[in-house]
Amino acid sequence: MSESEMAIIKPEAMKSYVWLQCTDGSIQQVEEEVAMFCPMICREILQTGMGSSKNYAISLPERVNPPILSLILDYCRFHQVPGRSNKERKTFDEKFIRIDTKRLCELTSAADSLQLKPLVDLTSRALARMIEGKTPEEIRETFHLPDDLTEEEKLEPLKNTNDDLRIRLLNRLYAKKRKELKERQKQKDVEVEEPQKDERSVDEILSFINGDGDSKSAKAAKNKKKNRRKKDQPKDPSRIESEKSHKKDALTLSMGRSEPGGSNSPSPSRAEDAFPTRVDFEDGDIDDELDPAMKEELDREVEDFARRLNSDWPERMQEILSLSQERRAVPNLMNGNGSLQRYTEFDICHLVE
Amino acid sequence: MAAGAGWASMFPDEVWEHVFSFLAADGDRNAVSIVCRGWYSIERRSRRRIFVGNCYAVAPAAAIHRFPNVRVVSIKGKPHFADFNLVPSDWGGRADAWVTAMAEGWPHLEELSLKRMVVTDDCLEFIARSFKNIRVLALSFCEGVSTAGLAAIAANCRNLRELDLRETGVEENCVHWLSHFPESFTSLVNLSIASIEEDVNISVLEHLVSRCTNLMTLKLNYAVPLDRLVNLLRRAPQLASLGTGKFTAEYRPELFSKLESAFAICKSMKSLSGICEAVPEYLPAIYPVCDGLTSLNLSYALVDGPALIKLVSRCKNVQRLWVMDVIEDDGLAAVASSCKLLQELRVFPCDPYGADPVSLTEHGLVTVSAGCPMLQSVLYFCRQMTNAALIAVARNSPNLTCFRLCIIEPRTPDYVTLEPLDAGFSAIVESCKDLRRLSVSGLLTDNVFRSIGAAANHLEMLSVAFAGDSDAGLHYILSGCKSLRKLEIRDCPFGDKALLANAAKLETMRSLWMSSCSVSLGACRLLARKMPWLNVEVMDERRGGSWASQPDDCPVEKLYVYRTVAGPRSDTPPCVWTVQGAIG
Repeated sequence: MSESEMAIIKPEAMKSYVWLQCTDGSIQQVEEEVAMFCPMICREILQTGMGSSKNYAISLPERVNPPILSLILDYCRFHQVPGRSNKERKTFDEKFIRIDTKRLCELTSAADSLQLKPLVDLTSRALARMIEGKTPEEIRETFHLPDDLTEEEKLEPLKNTNDDLRIRLLNRLYAKKRKELKERQKQKDVEVEEPQKDERSVDEILSFINGDGDSKSAKAAKNKKKNRRKKDQPKDPSRIESEKSHKKDALTLSMGRSEPGGSNSPSPSRAEDAFPTRVDFEDGDIDDELDPAMKEELDREVEDFARRLNSDWPERMQEILSLSQERRAVPNLMNGNGSLQRYTEFDICHLVE
Repeated sequence: MAAGAGWASMFPDEVWEHVFSFLAADGDRNAVSIVCRGWYSIERRSRRRIFVGNCYAVAPAAAIHRFPNVRVVSIKGKPHFADFNLVPSDWGGRADAWVTAMAEGWPHLEELSLKRMVVTDDCLEFIARSFKNIRVLALSFCEGVSTAGLAAIAANCRNLRELDLRETGVEENCVHWLSHFPESFTSLVNLSIASIEEDVNISVLEHLVSRCTNLMTLKLNYAVPLDRLVNLLRRAPQLASLGTGKFTAEYRPELFSKLESAFAICKSMKSLSGICEAVPEYLPAIYPVCDGLTSLNLSYALVDGPALIKLVSRCKNVQRLWVMDVIEDDGLAAVASSCKLLQELRVFPCDPYGADPVSLTEHGLVTVSAGCPMLQSVLYFCRQMTNAALIAVARNSPNLTCFRLCIIEPRTPDYVTLEPLDAGFSAIVESCKDLRRLSVSGLLTDNVFRSIGAAANHLEMLSVAFAGDSDAGLHYILSGCKSLRKLEIRDCPFGDKALLANAAKLETMRSLWMSSCSVSLGACRLLARKMPWLNVEVMDERRGGSWASQPDDCPVEKLYVYRTVAGPRSDTPPCVWTVQGAIG
């Protein structure tokens, strides 16, 4: 052939290829300059001379499967071209990582095993972005991670950040106890734990568990089932007060109000049922003070609570809490997103915020 | 890949660690740490930076055990109201316990920032000896330090890059502490000594500045006169941030032109502060750098309005501006028309208790909010306010993240309508959905707290003084404000009921301060009894000890409640008592 004819011969014919083998045995043929973009492959070729033919294919690490290898080679094929602008590369990268989570994880894994640092960084950043702003539960879902820290992880994330954590803790114990007691006492109208928070007072639970038919004061039933009833009922102080006592920290102001053994079914109250709603901020109709009756009730509650504390309540409280401690149950903290976080004596990170 | 096995096993821990390294926010790292056992372990080992918002929230040993490889620590001690002398001087917040533990557990510590803590010279010496790799030492609003301690730091910290003593009082004890930096020491990037009252040896300082060619931030103290400033600037034209000493001298044309030339060679200057007792004749020397400034602190420049106006009008790129109220409404109008990139404005009172009226009113604030679309953070001291003005600010600046209004005279109503300022502050919280910090003042009823509780969903810190009518006010706050972390209250009629009704909320917050309110010891006892994860501290400087025998109705002058896993602290002074949960 003449020199000019040689020059016309298509470049592809002059190209060299390397052969790569995945652990499943499949072999891929790749342009050499593309494969060389990968430091690990590059080293293999230069140091051992492997890869020059099918029989001497370079063995790739286990974490690189054929479809992921194709993806990686696409990445290398694009980036190994020298002339590209930063903008072009960035655009390519942004599109490249728009894949489902599972493949993104596989890609990260493969890139890491091939020591392809730019791709590792790209995929790691993408994974970090998928973590940002999420709650632990959401993160677990995204990445199919096991929920293996403690039982408390399984608590539903709750929207009201003012929930008393101990109430929930006690409610879980309560649910177990209730099952047993159900056999004995045939309580049909005791509600099973609902997804909403059960803001029953601790004292009610205690009195129920201990079979106290006679609670502190037989106040009117709190029907917290739906708001619709609330409007119909006269706003008597006792009702308001009993609703109020089931908001937030029922531990503090609660007295055994309802009769669990009786006809009234305790049900979770909503925060909206309680105190603030009566003082909705309406134009031209602003209540300047607490209802004086409510004030009185508050006073009485505090007094009652103090008196109760001087009874055997503390010991009962200890009992319940020690039961929960066996399960390594500890108080939870809400983070700013309103979702649950756990803290134990070793989960300092939340306390240090 | 079995779904149950989880994808965590898909790649080695180091890769997850690399992923976590891209998570900047502590909150994200905290979330990661409790996702699963594997991540807990990885995150914990790779955590390099922690922030301890309350030094008593966790025992140092526990923090160290939990995060064994930390390199950057930031710790806060006293409550914020210590800045207003409301916290007993011997309350606590000593850095020793932390420093001792960290020396043992984190000997490779690189950065240490302490705020509102008591740091002694012994402590500084210990730091200097124990942390060979320390690069950053930042003490802000601390006390107990003298120049002898600084000498120890200078002599021993070979890798020091930053020494920042912002607002930390420093006693005189060793006149030549700067000389303790060895000749071979050249690594300084930040030297901020504005709070040192005593003279420094300026020749030594000049030599230090000359050899530290990476110096980016230099904040001088008052003792450095203008003519020496010229020399320093000439040796450090690369400075990005400068705090001058006193900016006053008898007017001499040749000093002025030297000063102006010295500023002119500082092409990188972005931040300027100090300017103490400025003299109008010298202010124009700053003009060469005005255009590049993003931060300008004139809060020590007691110069009248017109001179200030000329200066700020040239600062078209300023993002942060601190001034005194001598700037008056006219000056703020100039700011509003010139400083379109303004994000943070602080206006301080030059004479809070003086009788002389200053023409700084609510109009200045409204004008700035109207003219500066990027305004995010406001601290404004003034003497009069109206609801209409606040409503206008709320409308103009819905992106406010920090709004602190201090009407100097307590319980001042809207001076036009004589009504409380409830409507105004309600408008602020309802419009500014990202508000994180709020200080209220003026005449306020319980209603404003209802609005705040309901609307301020991202509010993290609230300061209240001389406001409200009853427990309802406090109840609204504690039962609302989903993101509340810090609440500080003084001189409000808030008491036991609201506190007890919301005890659980307190565990979701960092701390609560209440002074001169209506809290009784009995309520504190109940609170402590119910909430073992809280420390309930009561204080009264007039009585020392014998708290335990006081009756329940004993009024509590100062109350500080904070969540902790460390239990009651062991270093309370006589005037402070951690209320015990046990009866009796």
